[in-house]
Amino acid sequence: MISAGIDIGSITAKCVILQGDKILAYSILRVKPNLEESAREIFEKTLELAGLSKEEVDSIVATGYGRGRVDFANKKITEISCHAIGSHFLIPDVGTVIDIGGQDSKVIAVENGKVLDFVMNDKCAAGTGRFIEVMANALGLKIEQIGELALRATERLKISSTCTVFAESEVVSYLSAGKKVEEIIAGVCDAIAGRLIAMASRVGIRREVVLTGGVAKNLGVRRAIEEKIGFGVKVPPEPQIVGALGAAVLGSG
Amino acid sequence: MKVGYLCTFTPKEIIYSAGFQPFRVFATERPIELASAYIQSYSCSQARGALECALKDDFYAFVFTRCCDTLMRLTDIFEFAGKRVYNIEFPTKIGNVEYYLRELKDFVEVLRDWGGEVSFESLVESLKLYRELEEGLKQLFSVFPDYETAIKVQQIDVKDAIKLVDEKLKSAKKEKESPKVLITGSVCPYPKIYDLFREAGFSIKDDLCTGSRFFEYIYPTFEPEDLEGALRFIAEKYFYKSPCPTKHYESDRRFEYVIKLAEDCDAVVFLLVKFCEPHFFDYPQLKSELEKMGKKVALIELEFPVVSTEQIRTRIEALREVIL
Repeated sequence: MISAGIDIGSITAKCVILQGDKILAYSILRVKPNLEESAREIFEKTLELAGLSKEEVDSIVATGYGRGRVDFANKKITEISCHAIGSHFLIPDVGTVIDIGGQDSKVIAVENGKVLDFVMNDKCAAGTGRFIEVMANALGLKIEQIGELALRATERLKISSTCTVFAESEVVSYLSAGKKVEEIIAGVCDAIAGRLIAMASRVGIRREVVLTGGVAKNLGVRRAIEEKIGFGVKVPPEPQIVGALGAAVLGSG
Repeated sequence: MKVGYLCTFTPKEIIYSAGFQPFRVFATERPIELASAYIQSYSCSQARGALECALKDDFYAFVFTRCCDTLMRLTDIFEFAGKRVYNIEFPTKIGNVEYYLRELKDFVEVLRDWGGEVSFESLVESLKLYRELEEGLKQLFSVFPDYETAIKVQQIDVKDAIKLVDEKLKSAKKEKESPKVLITGSVCPYPKIYDLFREAGFSIKDDLCTGSRFFEYIYPTFEPEDLEGALRFIAEKYFYKSPCPTKHYESDRRFEYVIKLAEDCDAVVFLLVKFCEPHFFDYPQLKSELEKMGKKVALIELEFPVVSTEQIRTRIEALREVIL
């Protein structure tokens, strides 16, 4: 059986095509304002990578905040369930999923792939990829540079504001005071980790902790989370596709 | 003439019997603009939205009853903004009927000063009409919890409200029984939020000020024989209405009430207005009690006016998937 999972997030669209327990292909694209078009585009691109036609796919499951706009999907399932299943598929002993997306973040308590509890932050940019994006802009950096730079810091400055706008002012103020960029960045990563761990404490942190979403690629955030929880976290090879993978797994029955 | 009120503990029967139109003030779909000149953005959006209404719409006066700290201080802000306001000191600790009876007698005098005469006959008639409305709503909710109607009846003449509930009852179709969610919280004057639960496949039961807490009472058993008797009837009626976290009760009446409601539900959603202190203070302990019963619990925070519903939809659908 061949199944496809399509995850329409706030910033990127992801698609995974799965046959049994083998990922045949996946792709990631930036979403367009027209979510239907983004869904069709990502699906067609992934089909092409897998060398398949639409007719060869037995089931399509949509997830993500734009799931309702994927009109050709057979089923729509929330990203909460899909991240839990996708993480369990890759790392079977997962106990907690921390998903850090572009405009929201969520912590999911999982047991054998089943969601026990969850908490989401979607009203505020703190603890999301958007927070890093704003800080990178304030520092004149590319988003990809942030993680590496944070690791180079010998000192970590405190960013005390939860609010992204106020935190940006703190960053600008540190720059005016002549502080090093890597120390500010390390502070930014620490602030995100602090916000996420506060959320995670509401559902309880149980091993193994799996990081998913685009921000999981940021080594600075990963290190800050590990320091706060006191043990290592696991990051799938491509953390951004975990939701789409979970959707494909659920579609495969 | 409209007399605005905010809390379900307000004795609307007395306002109506004096010839005024009691009108429950809620936040609306309008953005909060004028109110920001008087109240901080970290106050709950029901208080801010109600002030916005008071500043934009036409009311003769406003009646407050002591409940949460924010609404109490809102009384001062309404006065500061030049509104005609009266505050009834509803006892925070439920029990002393004699004290509250004196408060109600003072209120009758205030209404007289406003040009409204309360007689024994008019008050008994008002009590009868509101009881008919409350029992009608109870019947309607036992078939289909219709929040749009429950909200609307609080803003129209009670006689029209009774007719509306009767009409709705005739066409109401029984909601399927399972899976059932208990929604607990203060106010949610946006019917579209309840639709999200139904669209996710839930049937609904509630413990909300915009739902069953408006019409769930244990009525006194005596028949009033004079005006004082009728006021005593009202005092006792409101002492034994569905409990609210802004009040202190003998024993644990509030928790026992919510736990009892949750018994036949598969999940409980705390639908809380951001910065609603009384509900948030109860949340951790109540959540833990409900989880001990094996209920799945979720917290959804609202800010009025509710503009973005998709994030709320995700939380509700995820909860539905969790209990599958």
